[in-house]
Amino acid sequence: MTELTYTRHNPLIDPIFHVWEWQIPVYLFLGGLVGGLMIIAGIRLLVLRPNRREALVCCTLGPLIGLAALSLGMFSLFLDLGHKLHVWRLYTTFQVTSPMSWGSWILLLVYPALAANALAHLPEAIPALASRFPALVKISDFILARPRLVLFAGLTNTALGAALGIYTGILLSTLGGRPLWNSAVLGPLFLFSGLSTAAALLHGILVLTMPSGERPAFADFLLSALARMTQARPLDPAAAPILASADNSFLTVEVSLLGLFLLGHVTSTAVHHRAAGLLLTGPYAAPFWVLVVGLGIAMPLLLQTLELAHRIRHTLAPSLLVMFGGFALRVILVSAGQASRWFEALN
Amino acid sequence: MYAPFYKYGMFGDEVSLIVAFVIGIGFGFFLERAGFGSARKLAAQFYFTDMAVLKVMFTAIITAMTGLYLLARVGFVDLSMVYLVPTFVVPQIVGGLLLGVGFVIGGYCPGTSCVSAASGRVDGMVYIAGMFAGLLVFGEISRPLEGFLYSTPLGQVTLPAFFHLPYGVLVLAVVLMALVAFAVAEWAEKKTTGTAPDAEGSLTAMPWRLTPVRRLAGAFAVAGVLAVVLGNPYRGNTVEVDTRDLALGAARAQPLAPAKLADWIIQGRNDFTLVDLRTPASYGTYHIPGAQNVPLASLTADVAPRNQTLVLCTDDGAEAAQAWFLLKAEGFRSVYLLAGGLNGWRDQVLYPKAGPETSANDVARLSQVAQYFGGTPQTGVASAAAPPMPVLAPPVAPPIAPAGGTAGPKKKKEGC
Repeated sequence: MTELTYTRHNPLIDPIFHVWEWQIPVYLFLGGLVGGLMIIAGIRLLVLRPNRREALVCCTLGPLIGLAALSLGMFSLFLDLGHKLHVWRLYTTFQVTSPMSWGSWILLLVYPALAANALAHLPEAIPALASRFPALVKISDFILARPRLVLFAGLTNTALGAALGIYTGILLSTLGGRPLWNSAVLGPLFLFSGLSTAAALLHGILVLTMPSGERPAFADFLLSALARMTQARPLDPAAAPILASADNSFLTVEVSLLGLFLLGHVTSTAVHHRAAGLLLTGPYAAPFWVLVVGLGIAMPLLLQTLELAHRIRHTLAPSLLVMFGGFALRVILVSAGQASRWFEALN
Repeated sequence: MYAPFYKYGMFGDEVSLIVAFVIGIGFGFFLERAGFGSARKLAAQFYFTDMAVLKVMFTAIITAMTGLYLLARVGFVDLSMVYLVPTFVVPQIVGGLLLGVGFVIGGYCPGTSCVSAASGRVDGMVYIAGMFAGLLVFGEISRPLEGFLYSTPLGQVTLPAFFHLPYGVLVLAVVLMALVAFAVAEWAEKKTTGTAPDAEGSLTAMPWRLTPVRRLAGAFAVAGVLAVVLGNPYRGNTVEVDTRDLALGAARAQPLAPAKLADWIIQGRNDFTLVDLRTPASYGTYHIPGAQNVPLASLTADVAPRNQTLVLCTDDGAEAAQAWFLLKAEGFRSVYLLAGGLNGWRDQVLYPKAGPETSANDVARLSQVAQYFGGTPQTGVASAAAPPMPVLAPPVAPPIAPAGGTAGPKKKKEGC
């Protein structure tokens, strides 16, 4: 009896149900964001005539932010590791059947692809940096002088971005012990959520740099100081409606995938039905419907539709809402997934 | 299908939050469209240059009032289930003045400050920060102020009850008051700004045509007159007993696990009334903290407002079923039976049994709960690792826990 009591305290025998804390949703969010930024940047690079040089929010700022976000995300993933010093071992092997292995190699390949995309048009976007480091101009010239390299960079970015976005969802859906995550829809769901957050982020940056009379004076001051420091040319506001409408499409796909995800669970076994109940009527229902569906998808869809119809000005609000909603989606799915289980008695 | 939906159990807490979100977004959207996200617009009210706030708010009041009246009269809304904030005359006047001062200084009321902050205005954000700071301060000082906060109580009072007027007459009076207020507001705007009001949106402007605004005003007046004719919207004193519903309902009388009741009490929830149906003598010996003693014989519909959640308890639950039937017939919607009665309370809360399969966490929680209510500490966490866990049978006590059981809760009650 005593022994039983003691062993029940042992975390290696008694399963701990919520082992993933804030690090995983943060990583999933940033990973999805970077995947989205890569796809948008890759496509923009492919569409652009190679010899044209422009200051581009999609092709330069996007990948630069992507590099920073990816590093942050990988750092939070690293924080989650139980044996931090063993992280290098992931790169001594490649296991075809392990999503973790796929992920760690994809993450490694993402860096050069993102960097190539960022460097191609960097001298135009941030002239101050280019004049200080002439090597940057050389690299940019080197890339842009070779149309095939540009093509390759664009394709690689798109493909790796899609892989990264899908992999963040597959990472969850392969964990069979959690019925809520047991859905292949999670891959595309996270991909499109990542795409929507990426489009929203770029749209937000464009909105920030657009001339506006209502901006508080201190924000104007900060922005103009930043522009002076980087000698950056004004970004092309013509991309804003394109990004907003792309974001609307991504959000629409995302909400349909969410519907499919829930539908699949509700029409599956009783266990999956119960797992979906966590989001539909259970303890996660209110945060899920309010934060993810309401504030994260429906409101920005409405606002961006009004923006595109020229009913209201382009504002920062939809961009912030979409990013917040994307983050909330990961937090709620990771948390609710860990609350779902096959046997209620195990609770 | 009857409203209020939440009180009739059409959805639970989770869904009610989602409904609140949808209503809140809609409310905010229309406030913003009306221009109420701007402090200038709101402050213009106090200079009589733009009386939009008065017009919108008064319109909202008479829309809700005539709407509620008509829906209740048709039988769709059960007015007795609508929650009314209890009135405390002096504290609420003081609170109203404080709110007014804050309104004049900050240029917003709480609702419009949210709209303003959401539309990106920095002053609105500052106002919200101030609001939360104020709430925090009030939370800290509300305990010493309790005597004042609950002074001059009138209970849940309505204007018809207060003035002893028929409900419909009051509806008409408020509608007329609103229409007069709109006319006076237009006059004031004209005086202060010197410009004639826009003929299309005006109630009083001169070439007399039947504009939409006037049609709306007419509709309100008609609704008011109808209210006078149609009479009382309350269901009144007659009780309609739906025997089929009752018979079906009796089979699934809502039992409430003692552990859950314990949680409610510990959380300090005040949205339910715990009714102890035993004799005053047994009530005196031991009762669950916060319980109200209403012996079964003297139980009437006046025990609580009908929208209140009731939890009934007796010794073993048999009499409670009788009371449940009675209250259900009287139209109470959420009446719970304490599962197992006070015996269940004793076995599951005060002296819970912890078997070998109970996890250590649960044992710790159970013993904490038991200690909160003055249960014996033998069930305590200290014994979690000790062998005699199965021996933890409840001490054989007269009807309910002796000294330990009574002294504990009383002490707690004073503390709360």
